[in-house]
Amino acid sequence: MSRLPNKNKDSGMTRRGFLIAMTAVGVSFGFPRTSWSAMDPATEGGALLPDNGSLYEPSLWYSIDAKGKIKVNIIRAEMGQHVGTSIARILADELEANWDDVEIVHVDSHKKWGLMVTGGSWSVSQSWSVYRQAGAAGRTALLEAAAKKWAVPVGKCHASNGKVICGNKEISYGDLIAAGVNRQFTEAELKALPLKPNDDLKLVGKQVTSLDISNKTTGKTVFGIDAKIDGMVYAAPILPPTRYGSTVTAMDDSAAKAVKGYQQTLVLEDPSQTVPGWLVVIADSYYAAHKAAALVKVSWQAGAAANVSEVDIINHGRELLKDNSKGAILDTGDVNTEPVFSQAASIIEYEYLTSTVLHAQMEPLNALVFQNEDGIWEIHSGCQWQSLTTSVLAAALGVAEDNILIRAYMLGGGFGRRLNGDYTVPAALVSKALGGKPVKLVFTRAQDLQFDSPRSASVQQLKMAFNADKTVIAMEHHATAGWPTEVMIPVFMPKGVNGQPFDPFSIAGADHWYSVGAQKVRAVSNDLANASFRPGWLRSVGPGWTNWALESFMDEAAHHAGKDPLAFRLALLTAQGRNAGSGPIASGGAARQAAVLQKAAEMIGWGTALPEGSGMGIASTFGQERDMPTWVAVAAQVRVDKSTGLVHVEKLQVVVDAGIIVDPNGAQAQCQGAALWGLSMALYEGTELVNGKFKDSNFDSYTPLRIGQTPEVNIEFIVSSYAPSGLGEPAVTPVAPAIANAIYQAIGVRLRKIPMTANDVKAALIKA
Amino acid sequence: MRKRSLYSVFIAAIVAVGAFSIYAWHPSMAPITPPVKDQFAADVIAQGKVLAAAGYCSTCHTTPGGSPYAGNYEMHTDFGIIYSSNITPDVQTGIGNWSEEAFIRAMRTGVSRDGHHLLPAFPYEHFNKMTDEDIKAVYAYIMSSVPAVSQQKIDNGIPFPLNIRFLQSGWKLLFADTTPFKPQADESAEWNRGAYLAQGVAHCGACHTPRNALGGEKRDQMYSGAAIDGWIAPSLTTSSKAPLKWRAADFDEYLRTGNSSFHGSAAGPMAPVVHAGLSALSDSDLKAISVYFGALAGNHNDNPASSPALKAALESQQLPDPRIDNGARLYAISCQSCHYSSNELNKGRPLLALGSALHLDDPTNLINVTLDGFRANQGITGVVMPAFRDALSDEDITAIATYLRQSAGEQPWPNLKQKVAEIRLQPRFEH
Amino acid sequence: MAKFILNGKPVAADVDGETPLLWVIRDELDMTGTKFGCGIGTCGACTVHVGGRATRSCVTPISAVEGASITTIEGLSETGAHPLQISWQKHQVPQCGYCQSGQIMQAAALLKDIPQPTDAEIDAVMSGNLCRCMTYVRIREAIHEAADSMKEASHVKIA
Repeated sequence: MSRLPNKNKDSGMTRRGFLIAMTAVGVSFGFPRTSWSAMDPATEGGALLPDNGSLYEPSLWYSIDAKGKIKVNIIRAEMGQHVGTSIARILADELEANWDDVEIVHVDSHKKWGLMVTGGSWSVSQSWSVYRQAGAAGRTALLEAAAKKWAVPVGKCHASNGKVICGNKEISYGDLIAAGVNRQFTEAELKALPLKPNDDLKLVGKQVTSLDISNKTTGKTVFGIDAKIDGMVYAAPILPPTRYGSTVTAMDDSAAKAVKGYQQTLVLEDPSQTVPGWLVVIADSYYAAHKAAALVKVSWQAGAAANVSEVDIINHGRELLKDNSKGAILDTGDVNTEPVFSQAASIIEYEYLTSTVLHAQMEPLNALVFQNEDGIWEIHSGCQWQSLTTSVLAAALGVAEDNILIRAYMLGGGFGRRLNGDYTVPAALVSKALGGKPVKLVFTRAQDLQFDSPRSASVQQLKMAFNADKTVIAMEHHATAGWPTEVMIPVFMPKGVNGQPFDPFSIAGADHWYSVGAQKVRAVSNDLANASFRPGWLRSVGPGWTNWALESFMDEAAHHAGKDPLAFRLALLTAQGRNAGSGPIASGGAARQAAVLQKAAEMIGWGTALPEGSGMGIASTFGQERDMPTWVAVAAQVRVDKSTGLVHVEKLQVVVDAGIIVDPNGAQAQCQGAALWGLSMALYEGTELVNGKFKDSNFDSYTPLRIGQTPEVNIEFIVSSYAPSGLGEPAVTPVAPAIANAIYQAIGVRLRKIPMTANDVKAALIKA
Repeated sequence: MRKRSLYSVFIAAIVAVGAFSIYAWHPSMAPITPPVKDQFAADVIAQGKVLAAAGYCSTCHTTPGGSPYAGNYEMHTDFGIIYSSNITPDVQTGIGNWSEEAFIRAMRTGVSRDGHHLLPAFPYEHFNKMTDEDIKAVYAYIMSSVPAVSQQKIDNGIPFPLNIRFLQSGWKLLFADTTPFKPQADESAEWNRGAYLAQGVAHCGACHTPRNALGGEKRDQMYSGAAIDGWIAPSLTTSSKAPLKWRAADFDEYLRTGNSSFHGSAAGPMAPVVHAGLSALSDSDLKAISVYFGALAGNHNDNPASSPALKAALESQQLPDPRIDNGARLYAISCQSCHYSSNELNKGRPLLALGSALHLDDPTNLINVTLDGFRANQGITGVVMPAFRDALSDEDITAIATYLRQSAGEQPWPNLKQKVAEIRLQPRFEH
Repeated sequence: MAKFILNGKPVAADVDGETPLLWVIRDELDMTGTKFGCGIGTCGACTVHVGGRATRSCVTPISAVEGASITTIEGLSETGAHPLQISWQKHQVPQCGYCQSGQIMQAAALLKDIPQPTDAEIDAVMSGNLCRCMTYVRIREAIHEAADSMKEASHVKIA
């Protein structure tokens, strides 16, 4: 998990510190269980089922009761990945549990859980060894207990389906625990425990029904927006004209007073500077609060962003890229590209753009906050990064982080929006102003989008040097965008070979696995973007847009070299040197990327002639990060209507190598969703900053993919025995370039901006 | 010469005003002690109740949520805001001391018991077509069964000189149809029954017949459609713009259920006509009205299921790509979930290309329905259409209407966006 | 006082007549299965049945449903075993699940009117229901399967 070198030792809070926070340590911490309540997505109202009799907790991660019921503690947010089911299954498999006995518990943000973050497609990959060790601990303890009971050697016993069997005797886990088991393990002991051979895994890779699904078909699932506490008041925010720097100069709520149920309007004072220039209207109901809010007259002194629009961000990015002293150079081996380029027989260079993209998760932002009788501030809200959010809330409320508890709820979509917990702050400030009274604040959709931390617009410039026979000899990739990590958690930024820090989530993907000779990857923070809005992490983060440029460019390079785009890529995926890969997840390296590419090409019938106006394109990526690669290739088939400029995607063939697939059905669902998310960003969605605000404020003009726009999508997984990598995001990343490449094959026109609109196609045709 | 002729005009005018005054003057009729309920026969009361409903008396004589028949319902006319009278049997503020004769005079001539002229918003020229027996039945019902409510009438907001009630008699002289209902010998009994109801108590022409500049019905253009209460009452004659011809069977379905599958639903002021009014009539009376209008619409009887117009309307559901037609895109995400009707018509999934709203020269009805939807007691009872007033912008609604108009094969409406903005600002009528 | 029938039971709520049905159901009557998504009738998360027709409750004023019969996801089936719920579970359609109450309610109305829908018909009627997890492929599959199972069930009844 310490996938990037820690080069930030001076800071108290280090990237490494975050990344290794999830330990295998299994000692019991002695916290009273009931005071830190949590949520079971399979029960009515999310309440945990009662424990039966005595409990055994082999590790922090689960307990078994005297009836053999197993509660698995999940620190990851459930937002559609069925993550609890995947993680519990890893544990149950190693524990030899009966799946019917497994319950999952989404826990609160207590510090005993270590780093709580759900992002980066890390959840299963990072949990794999931890939960297997935890399961092995329980199995070992129960085997020992049974062996002791019958005074037989442990070696004569084995565990299966929730029972220990020693010769012709067998006993259930529950009965063993009822008789008393309290074996604990040191971290060293845990690491030494024998794990089952992968071939003996019974639940991993098999079909089970995800425990969160049934309630999601009956309306019983409890999302953050469903949280309710007796005596709560409703709050409606009033947002300033710019994300930062706006100050309230006058407020008049006289018209709002006519609204039945209106209470008052507060101008927020926010020490954390998360919501500067905000007001919040308090009322007896959601409707009254928002109706009254519309009647409150407010004047602001607007922040500087009131004069900043999308084109300014792009142009500023271009200026930044021109200055070679800006930004961080990543460690890609030989970064000394200048001499190679100066001797190149030919060079190609192209620029690629991406528009601002909004999260638009279906559940609008919301939070319910109050101070409980123990003085703890309870935050009831779906959250992807509790450990980051509690620190922001601590600053806003002026209390220690220990006094803040985020309760677990199901998320009505995360997609990275809820990594940034800024939306909990206004409710917390209002509750504090009301003496700790419960305050429920629900954003309208328009406010949710205006307050989004979107995927920043980006500018990328790629160069490739060829020798006389059109062999690739060097490559450069320069990228700039707003940097979420710099804005929200700068200690998370590693440093490049030139000593400059960079946002890994705003450049990953550019450090690809093609062997291209000298290679320079430069990441530059767009400070105008950072100051004008809050850039965010959005599903597939950097690789979602760096690969747009990279994989479009690889196609352009192939055409320059006069090679077939598939053959050109395969020739560069040699798996040599640093591209050979190492470690349990990344071993195999570029050879695995070549394999998914070939498979996707085979599925689409690469090379088959298509009718006039139709074309195929391919692209492949390594998912999110070099040390947790998920190898993905997409082959797209498109039909382009030259008269209207409309691109119709007819087929997406997706091939994924994510190592061992823990939950095949969930993996397929994640990849379907991710590929369609990629399609949505390629053709359908995107907004722009206009004078400090995003142009689109609701689904009447913001237009993510709808069912009628959904093409045939086929997902194939490579059977693999490598340790699992991630699945939530990677299939997003190759889709847009595959489509652009297919458009090029169809009509000979190259598009270098997403989303690719009908007008873009028509304009390009005219230019061509 | 010139002076002299002016003088004679003056004299003539004096004479005319004098003569008019004699014509216009009506005596007060003596107040009576309110009749007791059991002086009316039960079957007469029951008949009166049906007729009072079929004449929508309570619709115009009741404020939203107010006491039935107590008046003060607000009506916006071209001539100003007016308020209806209290017609409960309250002695001080209602009609409790009206004799049967006074009631009949009011119903036939629009003159109040005390002799003052009632405004023609009270459709006495239609009620005049009713038989004495029917009017007496209504009287019996009101006096015996409507609870007396003391509620003073609000003064009308009609400006001078239109507020001079005296002048109303001149209006009557010029415009009112004072002839009694005459059955047509060459038509069936059913047709005649329908005509009697439609022209009389149901006063269909009050909305569906265009009026002249001073508000008189143009009897030569009977039922050919008119603007009323911020809506367009479409033509019921052969001049109807509906793509499928209205048949007696369609009228019948519409009047019984509030919706015709081959046309559309009863919106705005037509909703209470169906649900609070005509629904009181027997099925045979509704059928009679349908036969009458079926004849006026041209006596069509072809099965619309095989009509090319229906086929075209069904095919018009094929949307253009949402990326290049904003109206179609908004229609797809906001409207199609209910309005898409497969390859055959499905009641309750109104196929908009068939409805008159898309084919009228005026987009008012479409805009009204988009803004305010259908309540459960409008259109098909128990189902609703949402109100997009606070949801969609003028641009959005204009885009949807533009798309729909085009999909229905019609030329674009001029100044549509302006019209949407204007209608959005108009007061909402409560029906 | 607004009065209507909710999942078969008469209910009343003392709210402003302009209040959207959605918030009355969720906040006054504590049925939270119906979701708030856009507030302007463009995403379908708030879909309920009014008189059996799929209706966006976020843009339906409470005054409009006076006396009407309303069904939410909680009332679609007493046991959660509507054929669509069964096929939704079998195909593991929901990801985050937030839009799925609306998807299922919309699909239930679709199958009532068009018992054997084609893909194109599903697309037309379901286009107003946004799914940000983009479970569309499985939504189509699950609707077809539920349609088939309902058809078989009705055949059994006839026989």
